[in-house]
This record gives sequence, C-alpha cells and structure tokens, in this order.
Amino acid sequence: MQPHILVIDDEPQIQRALRTILTARQFKVSVASRGNEGLTMAAAQPPDVIILDLSLPDMDGFAVCEQLRQWTQAPIIVLSVRDSERDKVHALDKGADDYLTKPFGIEELLARVRVALKHSAQAMGTPHTIINAGPIMIDLPGHIVTREGVEIKLTATEFKLLAYLAANADRVLTHQAILTHVWGSADADHTEYLRVYVGQLRKKLEDNPDQSKYLLTEPGVGYRFLTND
Amino acid sequence: MQWMTHPFVRTFFRFVYTILVVAAFTLVLWIFRDYLSNQVIALLFMLPVLVSTRLWGLAPGILSALLSFLTFNYFFTIPYFTLMVHQTQDFLSLIVFLIISVVVSQLLGQDQESIAAATAREREATRLYELSIALAGLMNDQDILQILAEKICETFYAEKVAVDLHDGLEAVTFGCLPKKIPLDKNRKPDQVFPLSTVRGQLGSVNLWRAGGRFSKSEERLLNTFTSQGALAIERARLIKTENRATVLEESDELKTSLLNSVSHELRSPLATIKASISSLRSGMVDWDSEARQELMTGIEEETDHLNQLVGNLLDMSRIETGALNPQRKWNSLSEIVGGVLKRMHQDVQKHRIVVDIPAEIPPVPVDYIQMQQVFTNLISNSVKYAPPETEIFITARLQNDQMLLVQVSNEGPHVTEGDLGRIFDKFYRVTAAEKITGTGLGLSVCKGIIEAHGGKIWAENAPGRFIFNFTLPVTWEGMYPQIPEEA
Repeated sequence: MQPHILVIDDEPQIQRALRTILTARQFKVSVASRGNEGLTMAAAQPPDVIILDLSLPDMDGFAVCEQLRQWTQAPIIVLSVRDSERDKVHALDKGADDYLTKPFGIEELLARVRVALKHSAQAMGTPHTIINAGPIMIDLPGHIVTREGVEIKLTATEFKLLAYLAANADRVLTHQAILTHVWGSADADHTEYLRVYVGQLRKKLEDNPDQSKYLLTEPGVGYRFLTND
Repeated sequence: MQWMTHPFVRTFFRFVYTILVVAAFTLVLWIFRDYLSNQVIALLFMLPVLVSTRLWGLAPGILSALLSFLTFNYFFTIPYFTLMVHQTQDFLSLIVFLIISVVVSQLLGQDQESIAAATAREREATRLYELSIALAGLMNDQDILQILAEKICETFYAEKVAVDLHDGLEAVTFGCLPKKIPLDKNRKPDQVFPLSTVRGQLGSVNLWRAGGRFSKSEERLLNTFTSQGALAIERARLIKTENRATVLEESDELKTSLLNSVSHELRSPLATIKASISSLRSGMVDWDSEARQELMTGIEEETDHLNQLVGNLLDMSRIETGALNPQRKWNSLSEIVGGVLKRMHQDVQKHRIVVDIPAEIPPVPVDYIQMQQVFTNLISNSVKYAPPETEIFITARLQNDQMLLVQVSNEGPHVTEGDLGRIFDKFYRVTAAEKITGTGLGLSVCKGIIEAHGGKIWAENAPGRFIFNFTLPVTWEGMYPQIPEEA
C-alpha cells in the first residue's frame, strides 16, 4: 500500500511541486491549504506523514501541530521559511518530529520522510537494540561501540549521549531534550556541555571530525545521528 | 522650635526687643546723666527710635518713640520721676521722635520691601534656572513630568503634586514630604494649573498644599514652571519626530541603493535559472546528456545564491533597525565552520580549504545562525576574489583570556590601504560591479553581526595573502563555559 502524505501549505507553487514530486515517488498525496482543512482531512483519512507549513492563512502552524498531537502520533515534518532557532525549537516542542527550512532540497525532504515513516513503523514494533551507521555499530544493551569491528572506548557520559542519539537515529533532537536526558533537567541550558562531548564523540567516531557524516549539527536547534539506511 | 517662626510670636518678640532697647538706653543715659545736658539727652534718645524702626519696622518704631518720650520725661526732665510736662519744648521732642520713627520706618520699609522683592525674584530666577537645567536634555515625557513634579514640590512646599498629560501617559504623582499622615485619596487638589504651549493644552498640574491659596508671585512662578515643563515636553516630542524623520530618510536612501544593487544581483541568477529551465523544457538537450546535468547544477547553485542573498538582505535590515539580537548559546566554532563548508561545498570546490581550529578552543557564546552567515560571507568573498586552485585558510586562536581571534585568509589580490576600512561599508565594492558579482552587502552584514557580538572585524594585507580578522569574546556575561567533570 502506498504511504499517505498530507501536505498542509497554502502556497500553490509548493503544493504543486510537492504533489508532483511525491506522487512520482509513489506516495499518495493529499493537500490542504488551511489549518482547519488540514485537521479535518487528517481526521477523515489518517496520513502516515504530515508536512506542515507554519504560516497558514487561518491559524498558526504551531497550533495545528499542537492540535494534531492531541490525538495522532503521525510524524509531522515542519516546512517553513522561518529559520530562527526559536521557531524551530518551538515547533519541535509542540510535537513536530522534524524541521526543514524553505528553500529545501527535495532529496533532503524525501530522506526526512523516509525516516519519519521508519520511525512510525518502529513505534509499532520492537525498537532496535543494535544500530548501524556506516562503519559504526552501536550495541545499546551491551554498551559496546565498534568502528570497523574495533571496539571504541567511550566514557560513561559519552556513551549515554551517543546511545540517546542512536536510539532516536535520524531524528532531530533539541539541545534541551539531549541535555535533560544525559545530564538532567537542571543542566538543560548548558549547551557548552554538548559542544564539548559531541566534539569528543566525533573525534572517536568520525573519519574527519570537522566534517562529520554521522553526528550532524542541526544549526541552532540540536543534533541528529544519521544512519544513512 | 516651630512656634518661634509663627508670625504672631515674631511680632510679639519685636515689641519685647524694642522695650529692652529703650530700657537699656535709658539706663546708660541715666548713668551718664551728670555729664550730659538735657538737650543732648533728648537728641540721643533719637537713637533707640532709629534702631527700633530700622530693625523691627514701623509699629515697634512708634512704640519706641512713645517709650523714649516717656522715659525722657520721667527720668530726665524736672520734676524728676513724674510724667508731668511743663514745657511745650518737651512735647516738641515727642513729636520729633514720632516723626522720625514714621519717616525712617517708611524709608526703611520701602527699602526693605524692594530688597525683599529683589530677593524673591532672585530666588525665583534660581529656581527657574534649576528647573530648566534639570529639564535640559530629557527626552522622555515621563522623566520630564517627574522632574517637574519634584521641582514644584521643592519650590512651593506642596504636599502632593500630580502631573498628567491628556494623551494617554499615566499621571506622575509625587508625594513631596515624608508625610506621617497619608493624604486623603478623595481630596480635591487645592490648585490646578494648565500645562500648555502655543499649540494648546498638553495636560495639567494638580497641587495639594496645606497652606491653601497661592500668592500672586507664587502663581506667577508656577505658571512659568508649568510653561517650562510644557515646552520641555514639546521639545522632546519634536526631537523624537525629527529623529524618526531622519531614520526614515536614511532608510529611504538605503532602499534606493539597495534596489539598484540588488536588482542586478537578483536578476543574474534568475537569468541563469530561466535560461536553463527553458532549454531543458524545449527538448533540445537529451534527458541523459552531460549538458543537462550541467544546467541542473547551475540552477541549483543559483537558487542557493539567491537564498544567501535574501539572508543577507534580511540581516542588513535587521542591523539597520537595530533588531539584530544575537541569540547567544555556547557553540563550537569548528562545528559552525564545518556546517558552512558542507553547505557551500559546491562554491568552494575550485579552492582548497584549510581549517585550523585547535581542539583546545573552548565553546564560544555566539548565535549559530548569524555566525554561519559571517563565515558564509567571508568564504564566498574569498572564493570570488582569490584565483582558483589557491588555498583559503580558516584559523582560530585564543588572543588572550577574553578574546578569540578568527582569521579567514586567501591568496587573492591586495586591497589598497584606503579601501581596507571601507570594504565593510554598505554597498562599497572595490571592483567595478560588472566584473564580479556581489551586492556589497556581505561584508557589512559581517561587521554588523560581529559588532553585535561584542567583537571587531578588520581586513589586512599580508605577504601573498589577504586576511579578514575578527574577534569574539570567549566569556558570556563574564562567565566561561562550564564543562562537567567525567564521573
């Protein structure tokens, strides 16, 4: 069965482009131009992924996000011209799963859609305990990390951080969420901890720590562990 | 000793002093009576009359005249120790005493009155001067009202002053003295003065004072005070309007030069996109050809350029309106640079990028997105001017324990000394607009962002290289980043 994508965006050009591209990629696409219309359509025919614009003519995109989250766990990818970190973090806090700024590359959007679909499928079944990303293998219950088969020594905090990112592989995690999980809510504002520990992890895991392939920075928002599968 | 200053008490004391002076004088004359003739004594008795009139005014003067006459009569004329008057001469002396006291008191009174008036005027002038000094330079309605209320309190011994403006602002109420008894809220003000200029009434000043009525001179002074206040408010508003006009004018100029510069910049990528798309649609290139791939790459690159341009325009307008507030967070510089290079990989493929950011560089308190823009602009500038196949260096070093020095350098041509400072100005471009694309916005945006972060940016020529330098503070509100110890 074709995965169903609901696009909530009022710009006709974006609607047309997304409808054409996504249909060509074998998705079933429905389009709503207004927030209320989108909410009704989501209820009538539950989508597998929702692509949501933040600036809608009738209501705020954050509000749409919040209302959707009251009854559906369908992944929401926010697609917006707003690029301030405040908007991004706000959208993620309101329950969005991912955030992409316009203009965007279509491959990027498709990758995010695939991740979203994988996660919603995973949420149904049992979570992965072994995560592979290129040469990196993370055994979550065994507390083992290897690179090209060679075990890598990580400190307790480093492992806790990597495990949290890997368990939520391919999804953007906000600074606050990571800090709260690894160091506790009292340290939720200390992004400097993250900068340092992510730097250490990159040195141990990546070929070129300056241009990391797996531990990705989401500018101003947080981090994402990319598995590329 | 409040009662000492009560008017009745003061008057009473004046009479007492008069009596004492006459008594003392009489005593002295009595002691020397054998050496003095009656005529001289009578003459000398004019002295207490003069003194009393001079010091205490007409009524004590007349009293002293009467007393002097009586004591002279009682002690110094025959028969002694009686008040009998035998000679009309003695009456004459009484009349002379009285005339002296009246004339002197009148003369002195006029004198004193004019002195008092002069002192009062001087006091008024001082108060007014103080008021105008205090009001000078105030730009805020609320501040002006506050000062006006304070000064009115001081000058007029009011209990409470409330100044309000008709257009919206909350009234400034000023309780003047540390009153033990709180003022009754419902009490009507004792006096209301308009706060008005030639353009009409701006508001009013309400005064509460125990003494009640205001004297003519007080009223006059208060009117001057209120008109000073009203003028200050009007001046502040005029200056505000003028500033707004200047800002508008400047932003108008900015818009004009922006449009000139930007229309060229916007059109050239659009031209590329349009041309590529139309040739792709025309079917003149095969679906699989290399030409097609090339056209597509061009389209993608040009859209990225447009996006970067829009980013710079937005930042420029934020800088212009002072709305560029860095959202500081502890960020890793190498992460920012890495992110930028990843995004720009198509632009930088003709150059070799060397990044040298040592691991010991601590996280810096910066706005990630804005710093991204700084690096993007500096790198794209380097890419534009430096010849292909040359190196672009990005280095960071701790300058001291407060500042970090970042350098983006390339092997491009030098810039003349005169232009070095100006390349960060808006729309300033070293080369003619046709040769190399650019809006002249990128570097000025960098300057705006770096300065908003509390750093400095400058350019310099070095042997074989051209260097952009900028500094960033490594502390945030005086604090260094905290790194938890591994448990």
